[in-house]
Amino acid sequence: MANFWKLVQNENMKIYRRVRTWIMLGIIVGLPILISLGVVAASGSDSVSSWEMMLNESMISFILITIFTVVVASETVAGEFTWGTIKLLLIRPWSRSAILLSKYLSTLLFALLFAVVTFIVTMLINMAVFGSMDQSEILSRFFGLSAIEYMLQYYLLQFLGLVIIVTFGFMMSSAFRSSGLAIGISISLLFMGSIITGLFSMTDKAWVEYILFMHLDLTTYIGNKEGPFINHPMSLGFSLAVLAGYFILFNLISWTVFRKRDIAA
Amino acid sequence: MSQAPVVRLQNVTKVIGKRTIIDGVSFEVRPGEVFGFLGPNGSGKTTTIRMIVGLMGMTAGDIHIGEHSVRSDFPKAIVQVGAIVENPEMYKFLTGYQNLMHYARMNPSITKERIQEVVELVGLQGRIHDKVKKYSLGMRQRLGVAQAVMHKPKLLVLDEPTNGLDPAGIRELRDYLRRLAQDEGTAVVVSSHLLSEMELMCDRVAILQNGKIIDVRSIRGQDNDVKTLEEVSFDVDHPDAALGILEGLGNGKIVDGLLNLSSDRAGVAALNRRLVEAGINVYGIRVKTKSLEDQFLEMTGSETIG
Repeated sequence: MANFWKLVQNENMKIYRRVRTWIMLGIIVGLPILISLGVVAASGSDSVSSWEMMLNESMISFILITIFTVVVASETVAGEFTWGTIKLLLIRPWSRSAILLSKYLSTLLFALLFAVVTFIVTMLINMAVFGSMDQSEILSRFFGLSAIEYMLQYYLLQFLGLVIIVTFGFMMSSAFRSSGLAIGISISLLFMGSIITGLFSMTDKAWVEYILFMHLDLTTYIGNKEGPFINHPMSLGFSLAVLAGYFILFNLISWTVFRKRDIAA
Repeated sequence: MSQAPVVRLQNVTKVIGKRTIIDGVSFEVRPGEVFGFLGPNGSGKTTTIRMIVGLMGMTAGDIHIGEHSVRSDFPKAIVQVGAIVENPEMYKFLTGYQNLMHYARMNPSITKERIQEVVELVGLQGRIHDKVKKYSLGMRQRLGVAQAVMHKPKLLVLDEPTNGLDPAGIRELRDYLRRLAQDEGTAVVVSSHLLSEMELMCDRVAILQNGKIIDVRSIRGQDNDVKTLEEVSFDVDHPDAALGILEGLGNGKIVDGLLNLSSDRAGVAALNRRLVEAGINVYGIRVKTKSLEDQFLEMTGSETIG
C-alpha cells in the first residue's frame, strides 16, 4: 500500500482534465447567479429573504449535482472498458479492490467539491443581491432552527441521499460496463423515486418501509421527527439504517463483480 | 542457460461455460529469450496472454513470474511485467506525458528522469505534450511501448504488437525487442498470427491450436541438417526429356513447365550433373526451404479454426 493517494490523484486527473467537468462546474456556479439576478429583475431585492433564495437554489443545484456525479460515477468504471484502457490499468502492482476504491473515492470527492461550491456560491450571490444574511433569522419554514443550522443539516442530509444514488450508479457501471445504461437507470431512479414513493406510501403494508425510494429524501426529517408519510411514521435513525443496508449491498455487488470479472473486451 | 525462468506456466487451464478454451498449457521463458506464440485465430493466444498478466482468471494450474504467483501474489508478480495487450489504448483526452504519468504514479520505482528517458527512447520527445487524440497509430504504439518498459520489467508481454504498424514500424519494434532481450536480459512473450514476423523476432515459438500447445521449436541456432529433403525445382529446356533422364530419382513432377523433385543438398548437384551430361540446358535451380509458415500450416491444417 505504498501510496494509495496516487491512485486517487490519477482518477482525479481523469475527471478534471476533461472539458466536460468544467462545463458542469460552470453550470453549478452560473445557475444560482442567474436565478438570483432574474428574481431581482422581476420583483426587486426586497421581495424574498436571502436564506429562502439560497434554499430554493440549493434544491435545484442538488438535482444537478446528483446527475453530474452519476455521470462521473458511471463513466469512471465503464469508460475504462469502453476506451480499452482497463487492460493497461489493471496490470499494475495494485489489487483490483484498491483501484475500484480509488475510483469510488474520487467520485465522492467530486460530489463533495460540487456541494461545497454550491453552498458558497448560493450564499455569496444571495448575500450580494438580497443584502446581508442574518445568522439568527428564523423563518416558519425552518422549524425553529436558525437559518444556518437548517442549511447545514439540509446539505448533510441531501448529500447522504446523493451518496446512495451515486453508489447505485457506480454498481451499474461496474456490473454492466456501459456508462449509458448506468446513467440512464440511475437517473430514472432519481426521478421515478418520488412517484413510486407516493404510490407505495398509500398502502399500509409494513414492508413498504424497507423500499429504497422511501428514504432518499432525508431532508423531510428536519423539524418533522416522523418523516413525510402519515401512515408510515418512521425515524431518521430508521431511514439511515435502511440506507446503510442498501449502501452495503450496492458496494458488495460492485466489488464482487469488478474483482471477479475476466477482462476479455 | 541454467538461469531461473522469468515466467513459468504450469498446466494452465481455462474453462468458460462448458468449453475448454485453454487446456493444460505449460512452458517457461528464460531471461533474454524472445518467446513467440503462434496459432490461428481463436486458438487461445490472447486468452493465455491475458492470464499471464492477470486480466483473466484461470480455472486450474498456476503462473509464476519470478517466484510470485499471479494467482495468489498478484501485485508482486505483476510489478515485474510490462505489457501491451492488443492495441495500446490510451486516454485520448490526456497528453502523452499525462498518460505516462498516470502509469508512473502506480509504480513507486519510476522517477521523472526515467519517464524522460523512455520518451526519448521511443522518439516521442517532440510530441509528448500533445493530446493523444492527435497521435497517429504509430505514435500511439510508441507510447504503448514506453508505458510497458518504463519500470524496466523482467518480462515484456506483447499481444499482436505489429497490428496496424507499417513495415518501418514493425522493423523498429522488432529491433528494439531483440535489443532489449540481448542487452537487458528481458524475457519477451509475443503473440502473433504473422508467421514471417515471428520467424524474424523469436528464439522459440510455441504453436497453439484449440487451446493446446502442439509444438515448441527453436528458430535460431537450429542445426542445418544436410540430409533434410527439400523441394527443388529445375528450370530446363525439355522438362519431359529431363524427367525421363531422372526416372526413379526424387519423385519428379512437372509443374508449370518446371521439373519439381525432392532431394538433399548433395543430391541437387548430382542431379544437375546428370542433366547437363545428357545435353539438357539447365537455366535455373531453386531450392524451396520450408518456411515456418509451411510447417505451421502442415501442423495445424487449414480447416481447423476455433
